[in-house]
Amino acid sequence: MHEGSFIEHPLVIRLRRIVVVLLVLIFVGALLRPIESPAWQVVKSGQSELNLEGIEGSLGQGLVVGVLGGFRAIMADFMWIRVNTIWERRDRTKLDAMIRLSTTLDPRQSFFWFNGARMIAYDVPNWRIREEGGYSEVPDSRQDEINREQAEQAFIFLEKAREFHPDEPKLVVEVAQIYLNRLKDIPNAADWFLKTSKMPNAPYFAARIYAELLRRQGLDREAYDYLRELYSELPNDPYAQKNIILERIRTLESILEVQYLLRFNPGDVSPVIAPANSHPEHSHHGHNH
Amino acid sequence: MIDSINRLRFIAGNTFLEAVRQKFFNSLLLISIALLASSTFFQQFDFGTNELKFITDFGFGALFFFGSILSVTATTQLFFNEIENRTALTMLAKPIHKLEFLAGKFFGAHMLMLCFTAVITLVLAGMLYWRETELMARLGDAFIDGRLVNYSDIFVFGLLQWMKFGVLTAITLFIASFSNTNLYTIVVSFFVLIICQLQYIARDAYSTMEAGIGRWLVQFLGLIFPNFQLFNIGDQLVFNVKAPIPAVTILQIVGYGLIYTVVFVLLAHVNFRRREI
Repeated sequence: MHEGSFIEHPLVIRLRRIVVVLLVLIFVGALLRPIESPAWQVVKSGQSELNLEGIEGSLGQGLVVGVLGGFRAIMADFMWIRVNTIWERRDRTKLDAMIRLSTTLDPRQSFFWFNGARMIAYDVPNWRIREEGGYSEVPDSRQDEINREQAEQAFIFLEKAREFHPDEPKLVVEVAQIYLNRLKDIPNAADWFLKTSKMPNAPYFAARIYAELLRRQGLDREAYDYLRELYSELPNDPYAQKNIILERIRTLESILEVQYLLRFNPGDVSPVIAPANSHPEHSHHGHNH
Repeated sequence: MIDSINRLRFIAGNTFLEAVRQKFFNSLLLISIALLASSTFFQQFDFGTNELKFITDFGFGALFFFGSILSVTATTQLFFNEIENRTALTMLAKPIHKLEFLAGKFFGAHMLMLCFTAVITLVLAGMLYWRETELMARLGDAFIDGRLVNYSDIFVFGLLQWMKFGVLTAITLFIASFSNTNLYTIVVSFFVLIICQLQYIARDAYSTMEAGIGRWLVQFLGLIFPNFQLFNIGDQLVFNVKAPIPAVTILQIVGYGLIYTVVFVLLAHVNFRRREI
């Protein structure tokens, strides 16, 4: 009798109903796994922003994708306008946060990534040096330290960008440019220009700059061999600027005093007009040097 | 059986008519269309996204955002109107089974969502077609391989969204079946919607977690809440991407949505049949 009244207690009835509902949902969830899992794998593989493994701090990313859905693009655009206002005010703390917010909102926009990296690597060091007294007051060692710190931040930022855009050469060439222009680190810049040149749709200039950087390091022979190989591999596309490469080959032949008979023979290669849809300054395929 | 279907059709039809006449539905539909039509204006704030991609994103955003609001609020309102106006009492006094009443309400609300989804999808397809035709005339070389947008797949995406709204409607109905107020139903339904939208994060996280209470809890959450992110495949469907979605995946997603819809309507019935009106 007592047991019966306990079972009939409204609270117990309610609890029993909750347990039944949960058990049904668990059962259905488990039953649907064989349908859901393969479908989810297909959906996930096609959307880089859903692949959270290996992306640090990806919780925010997932939240944004889940909650804002298609509106995240326009939200990110408005955020980027705000980034520019903050950039004009030179508020570097807010700038960093807002750049990251824009790329979290819409990581598909490569524009945000490389422009954000430029702000971090080029503009912020200027502001920091000015805050500490200006270029004439701050010792070179301190300036180098600031440049190095900011460049490191930009490199981490660009590394994250490459997780979303693994085939985007602009993001790789940006690392090379920072090494070259901000850190004046020619060996590392050369490595990154070489990496860029090997990517599909890499800009032609990446390979040319790599050769030039070899030359600046005193590696004239390596630069010469590389340019000879490059010339043979490049298509007869005006944007490839093979005439410039040939000029550099000739200059290096003079410097290296290459015998006339051993000099590079470009063969009978006449430039042709590029097809209308060819992308300016971009190769169709990566080079394999 | 035929009588039951007729009663269900009658309730669903009336529910649908009542919903379509509501100012809320009409204003939400107009706002969505206006927002979609203004996507070309908002495009001027964009930083380099393909125009067609931007419009598509915007359209899908409007469909998800306003569709979710409509699905939750319309279902709640349609259900509680019958309870508060005591029309449910009159109806259930007749030989109408409570499951027929619930299913009728569900189908009425679901038809409303079909109208909403169809209109938004049509407007989006029209906008994209207009812009793409203009772009083709201006930049013919960029369209050498033909149109970039798969128009039929916009409607496939619309269908998937409608399936998702079906699950959401059924969940709302389930919550309404044990809730006493409009507000409680709407708030809890939106919380559940957010959990369903985000449960994939927990799912992905538990695969790398060490065995323990945390992992069990996440696994449990992953089982009881449907994964709404599964329905968001607009990007892969609409634009010619390297890996298009296979038809079998679409069917799996549709099946997944249908099963969850039926389960939640039946669970709502479990609660509602014992409810005193």
